[in-house]
Amino acid sequence: MKSLSSNGSNGSKPPSEITSASSDVVLSVQGVSKKFCRSLKRSLFYGIQDIGSELTGKRKSDVLRPNEFWALKDVNLTLRRGEGLGLIGVNGSGKTTLLRIISGLIKPDAGTARVRGRVAPLIALGAGFSPVLTGRENIYANMSILGLSTQEIEDRFQAVVDFAEIGEAIDAPVQTYSSGMGARLGFACAIHTDPEILLIDEVLAVGDIQFLGKCHRRLHQLREQGTAFVLVSHNPQAILSMCQDAIYLHKGHGVATGNAETVMAQYEADLFSGNVSKTAGVMQFPRKSRSESLGLDLVTLSFKNPSGQALETLTSGDPARICIQFFAQVAIATLNLRISLMKEGQTIVYMGGSNDKQVFNVSVGYHEIQVDLPQVGLAPGTYTMRVDMRKDALFILDICESFHFTVESNGSMSKSIYYQPRTWKLLSGDREVDRDAIRS
Amino acid sequence: MASRELAWRLLVRDINTQYRQSLLGIFWAFVPPIAAALGLTLASNANVLNVGATAIPYPAYVMFSMALWQTFTEAVVGPIQAVAAAKPMLAKINFPREAIILSQLGQVGFNFGIKLILIIGLFLWFKIPIAWTVILAPVALLHLIALGTAVGLLLAPIAALYEDVTRGLTLATGVWLFFTPVIYPLPQEGSFAQIVRLNPATPLLSAVRDLAILGRVTDPQSFWLASGVAGLGLLLAWLVYRVALPFVIERMSA
Repeated sequence: MKSLSSNGSNGSKPPSEITSASSDVVLSVQGVSKKFCRSLKRSLFYGIQDIGSELTGKRKSDVLRPNEFWALKDVNLTLRRGEGLGLIGVNGSGKTTLLRIISGLIKPDAGTARVRGRVAPLIALGAGFSPVLTGRENIYANMSILGLSTQEIEDRFQAVVDFAEIGEAIDAPVQTYSSGMGARLGFACAIHTDPEILLIDEVLAVGDIQFLGKCHRRLHQLREQGTAFVLVSHNPQAILSMCQDAIYLHKGHGVATGNAETVMAQYEADLFSGNVSKTAGVMQFPRKSRSESLGLDLVTLSFKNPSGQALETLTSGDPARICIQFFAQVAIATLNLRISLMKEGQTIVYMGGSNDKQVFNVSVGYHEIQVDLPQVGLAPGTYTMRVDMRKDALFILDICESFHFTVESNGSMSKSIYYQPRTWKLLSGDREVDRDAIRS
Repeated sequence: MASRELAWRLLVRDINTQYRQSLLGIFWAFVPPIAAALGLTLASNANVLNVGATAIPYPAYVMFSMALWQTFTEAVVGPIQAVAAAKPMLAKINFPREAIILSQLGQVGFNFGIKLILIIGLFLWFKIPIAWTVILAPVALLHLIALGTAVGLLLAPIAALYEDVTRGLTLATGVWLFFTPVIYPLPQEGSFAQIVRLNPATPLLSAVRDLAILGRVTDPQSFWLASGVAGLGLLLAWLVYRVALPFVIERMSA
């Protein structure tokens, strides 16, 4: 909420707390429901029916017809300036449908979705690009579709080109661009429309790592300028790092709303069928039936100290051991383990069995793999660990998406982003100090 | 209207795309009327086809009429093609949806502009005197385009759902041609003449021709009636299009 408006020239209305609070709301979705039909033929027929009944004003939208189901049912959310909202849920839970309703593409069957200001969907990068036209011509067409006037496009043109790093190729046909260049141009166009709300679907898979970093920086910048976000992602870190609030959709219902971490915890708990328990730094996995199992099942995951006691938290510079207990239903000759330690969605440490030439041959039964870390190099903070076990390089046997853990400081970590193991020494006197080196 | 600027951008984009991938370019706008005129003139001269007397030399009559008829059919299929071509865009971005229709109309106008070169050449070649009322011909032409657009716009939402519409329309415009005085002059009597007269495209197309050649509209009453149908139809179609499109988009893949 803004308490001071410095550039408001017409101060005819005295700013009261209530009006500024409600004027901060850029998106308000109330009781939105949407039904879809599973059969294409019927869906087309219902389409005609809906058009007819809408035109005659006799539309009854709150009843399901045969073969229909609620893709969204009674979803509520509000978004204020500068806020980030995460949408989570498994595939088919209605996330994209909700985004399409917010962007005004489809009409809800019940409820309302009110939007104040321009919505930029980062779902539709480069929509309307014509492959034979040049980058320049396409920028004009694309940004015009996104709702900018010619004057506005001209003002932003150079910024778009610079951001997309297209350079000389701007006057070449878009079909000669690499897929990365095309995506960059699409992203640059969308991001420069100065939207009030950004809709981001799934991963921002545009270009190389360097450009990805640039995109994230730009999003961060927009956010500070007051742009609101709706982010759809399967990546818990992306949600947690960008959004304060989240909505967890399950089969079209908003099952949880509120603080992102709480909602995410519930989502993850549901994802692991509610049986995963985590106590004192040990994660227990539910027993899988034979039909669920892919041949190898994780049993527990934990950190221990070298003497074998479970560690609730790690400490920078101290030794630690990652213990992975699993049960092999079948013998596996090439068991390959991959461990990623991540912070805010970025992998900080990756340890791959095949990279380290550590591929195991396991027989049927219980096993434990231990990875000893002589000194934890991570800086203090919260991390998640992702562990997957594979047969050869591709066949995933079992996976743990996120094991949350905390690293504490050992007291000498200020200003450092990783722990550098070191020893200090003082040498004194002519004999000890190599004076030849000083002279020369 | 905010969609005007967008429509202009889309028009520029589409025309550029179209002509950049073509060697012969605007040549394609000339060919169909010339080809039709050639075939029909040969048939007429050989007395295979007996079409009665026309006010101007038959080849010129056919070419001129074909150019008008083509403009009309472009206006009919235009909205349907525009919606089909813009599907990926419509499914992803919320923009004023009239823009693609306006842009399509712009293309119809652009194409007619090119055909106009042919028509002018034709009048010079056959030394056909033009009436001063030719300056009113564009009004009648606009009514003709409005009629075509009304039909196309009304069908566009359904066509986006069912492919049958597009197929049926190809057939329908083919048949429609024979019930419009394009390759023959307006028949005066008989049941066929009755059907041709009931066709709303007849008075509009005839009016354009009459204004250019004769200097008067032969049947002003039918002309204004058909114009009324076109105007009201366009209004209705536009309303239907606005209401119907969200339901259509819902059924397009994102």
